[in-house]
Amino acid sequence: MPSTGHFILRSNVLPPVTAGPYELVSEQTDTPFAINTEHTSVTVSAPRYTMPPDQILSSFPPANAEGAWGDRLPQIVLKRRTLPWERNPLGLVDVSDTPWLALVVVAEGEAELSREPRPVSECVTSGTVLRDPSDRDVEQTYCLSVTETVVGKIFPCLEDLPMLTHVREVDINDTELANGDDDGFLAVILANRLPVFDAATGTPVRYLACLVNLEGQLEELPPPSEPRRDFQWELAQDWVFLQAVTDDADTWVTGGATSTAIDISQAGTVGLPQTESSGAARPKAGSSLDGATAMRTTTNAETWTQVTGTSATAAVTAAASDPNAAAVVRSAMTIGFHLPISVYAAERVLKFPVLAHWSFTTNEGATFETLMQDLGVGLLGELSTPAPDAPPAPTPTTVVASGHLQLDHRTRRGDTSQAWYRGPFVPHPADREQPVDGALSVAHSADHLRRVVPDGSEDLSYAAAFEIGRLLALSQLSVTAGLLRFRQEQFGAARLRAVVDDVLPWPIDTDQTRDLRHLLSTLFVGQLASEPVAFAGPTRPVADPGRPIEGLAGLSEARLDQLVATGFGIDLDKLARASEAVGVVAALGDTETPLLQRDNVDEASLTALRAGLTDEVLRLAEMAIPDLRARGPGPGDRRRSPRAHWRRDALDDLLDRPEPEEET
Amino acid sequence: MKFTADAAVSYAQVAATQIAGQFIETDPIDGDHLVPGELRRFLAGLRLLQGVPFSYLVPDADLLPPESIRFFYIDRNWTDALVQGALSVGTVTTTDRAQLETVYPQLRDEVDETERTIRTPTGEERLAGASGTITGFLLRSRIVSGWPALHVRAYSEDVVGDSELSTVAESHPSRMKLLRMERLAPAVLLVLIDGVPEVVHIEEPRQGVQFGARLDTDAPATARRAEVHPRHATTGDPLDVPDVPVPFRPGAPGVIDVRQLRADLKEASPQTHTDPDGLKIHEFALQMLRFPYRQVFGDPANAEANFELDRFQVTATFGEWETQLTIHLAEVDTDGGTP
Repeated sequence: MPSTGHFILRSNVLPPVTAGPYELVSEQTDTPFAINTEHTSVTVSAPRYTMPPDQILSSFPPANAEGAWGDRLPQIVLKRRTLPWERNPLGLVDVSDTPWLALVVVAEGEAELSREPRPVSECVTSGTVLRDPSDRDVEQTYCLSVTETVVGKIFPCLEDLPMLTHVREVDINDTELANGDDDGFLAVILANRLPVFDAATGTPVRYLACLVNLEGQLEELPPPSEPRRDFQWELAQDWVFLQAVTDDADTWVTGGATSTAIDISQAGTVGLPQTESSGAARPKAGSSLDGATAMRTTTNAETWTQVTGTSATAAVTAAASDPNAAAVVRSAMTIGFHLPISVYAAERVLKFPVLAHWSFTTNEGATFETLMQDLGVGLLGELSTPAPDAPPAPTPTTVVASGHLQLDHRTRRGDTSQAWYRGPFVPHPADREQPVDGALSVAHSADHLRRVVPDGSEDLSYAAAFEIGRLLALSQLSVTAGLLRFRQEQFGAARLRAVVDDVLPWPIDTDQTRDLRHLLSTLFVGQLASEPVAFAGPTRPVADPGRPIEGLAGLSEARLDQLVATGFGIDLDKLARASEAVGVVAALGDTETPLLQRDNVDEASLTALRAGLTDEVLRLAEMAIPDLRARGPGPGDRRRSPRAHWRRDALDDLLDRPEPEEET
Repeated sequence: MKFTADAAVSYAQVAATQIAGQFIETDPIDGDHLVPGELRRFLAGLRLLQGVPFSYLVPDADLLPPESIRFFYIDRNWTDALVQGALSVGTVTTTDRAQLETVYPQLRDEVDETERTIRTPTGEERLAGASGTITGFLLRSRIVSGWPALHVRAYSEDVVGDSELSTVAESHPSRMKLLRMERLAPAVLLVLIDGVPEVVHIEEPRQGVQFGARLDTDAPATARRAEVHPRHATTGDPLDVPDVPVPFRPGAPGVIDVRQLRADLKEASPQTHTDPDGLKIHEFALQMLRFPYRQVFGDPANAEANFELDRFQVTATFGEWETQLTIHLAEVDTDGGTP
């Protein structure tokens, strides 16, 4: 998969089979008994007469858009990568690398799109042999009728056809390129026509892009012609005069108007001059949805000053608010492409089924690039050199190098004079007033900012800025209210500061008075640290003495030993003697502790008791040394059990001593 | 003891906050400030000239003729005067004015800071800091009305190649923040940039991948032409060969003779194709790809193509020039005194 922002172009992705009914035949041989051949019917389906909307990923130029599309080829992007090759345009079963789809772009007046969907059998040129006519995805579709001449001029040649269809592989996460596709493979069909602008008369041109099915009609495509290096605007064939007929198209359709005064001999003439008068002379176009009339009368000057769209676009926009919007917009978009060419044309008219269509308008001869490059670039304050033939300005503008402009000024006394003015945009870096000793001059009225320049006239730039700022603040009640509230709070705060100044025992640093909270906290913490006893009272000892044990009070040390020894059933004299020789700890270790009621204690309860004792000893040890656990194995520390922190003593030996089994 | 100290400190803090809360504004968006948030944002918007009538910005139409772009520096004194005007509302007594003067330096700093946060694109960090020079441009052209959502990017260093397709994120150090970008009229675009950019890119809005040819707009209406610049078949880079004129079919405007164009592109350079038989379909598509056009302002490399761009290159600041002039005048003075 390509990375975001990149894509891969591929020539084509051919499907293994073309669309159509297939029969799978399963045969088994070399078996001792006969097996019937199995026939399975399989239909490979593909769109044929209409493109399902979910297969169309995007189209360009956008439908119903107006813009400078003249240098871009219209395109339609399909989601299924094999779609353009799923049918063989020659009507064969084999897969062909010639696509069966082509994107044809016709200008208004060159071709006819059927007003209503027609039965699909009527949507191809009569006499065309289609493979398996029963294979159709819809019963009715739109039909593009074009004369042989127009086909010869604008349809792609057979050789062009494969060149105009390719497959693009994009990153599906790239929203700009993938646009919500599921697998990132897209089939792209390009048109072979640049939808150019009518540069000679400067009128917008409306185009209709049609995705047509070329099945069975490949031989109708034009042969290669002698190429030209330049072109000029002219319709491939001009049928615009048929507009008069379409005005009462309803009567024509019902067969009422057979005597319409149309000079049939005009049919086939190419390149009728399009003059302003042709639009004006045409009878009223009937409906406001008709775009053609308005487009003809739009002059170049109007497109410059008035940026709103043509009425065809407006009609589509208006139609979008209709409850039945989808259908109305679709039909409104094709207005102007319903000229009944197939009825009036003297030559052969070819018909192609249209799978998808949309229209757009090229209303601009210049492109982004040319407009950008023709921009007058400069710093604000530079005057453009007037065109040599331009009439002299009634009042020439005076701009000086500093960017100041001389404007008429009526003084308060009523005298008319000239004053200098310069807006916020200046052609050179301007120094900003910097605070002097933390103070800045503040103007309180616009007159404070009036300046007199050496030539004696006034510079009103800053005064004007002050005044407009004041008016802008006054124009918003919330801002005015906010300002007053802010001021009120400031005064309240100043009063409070004065009170705090009197009450607090320490001086307030005047630089920090702005933020009293921080000041108070800092001061408080500082005082607290320096005099903890005065602020928070005397400190509490780390450990409290235990409560006196009843009965032990008044006992001497010797008596206490005797008491403990008696309690453990140890002979104190013997221990004293032994401790003189080997020390108290070793003597204690050697001393046997009599065990009572040994017979009643079984192995399991003894283990449980021992474990309980161990836990209790550890708990006591932790209480005595609170950070025992915290001290635990730290980084670089050897892995040791908490008990390894102190030296083993007699109690440990006692606890760890193997079970005396032979003890009586 | 610790508990007592904690309680005492928090009590002191509560008490202090209650007092301080009287005159410190804690804004949910950008924290503690002296000036209330809504006032600060109004004043910052005013600094960015929001709501200022256009005739105050550009007093004469001659300064901004049709189809022109005008770069400028912002005169901070002018915008300060604007803010002072707004602040002057309701100052009646001398104490009011004294209070305003006391608080103004702090207020100015806070508004400077808020200025940067008025336009905050989603997904980008809020930027803060003291104010600097603000520059910008006014563009009056059909481009503004015809290509809505065009891209404007300013760089303090020319890090992105002029024809490079990519761009750098808005938070990139070389990318300068746009303080304001607004269409003042259908065809007038105002852009304010935080700092003095070295290059400014204006780019056609991106609308997916497009194909086409370059129309020669200088050609007469009766003989219009178009051309395609050949690209390298494997890298996609433009080749150093002349443009290929697009062959058209006779009789219909704009219909390209694709077969002939393919042959011409094959002739143009051996690097446009990998197969000796000619361009493959995808190679042809690559040749026809059109990327959004990007106009680069201020890049000296473009100087020979657009002479006028030089004018945007500021060689000396006004202050520097003034110093140089003073030194020069002093020298002249001493020279005049010695003989």
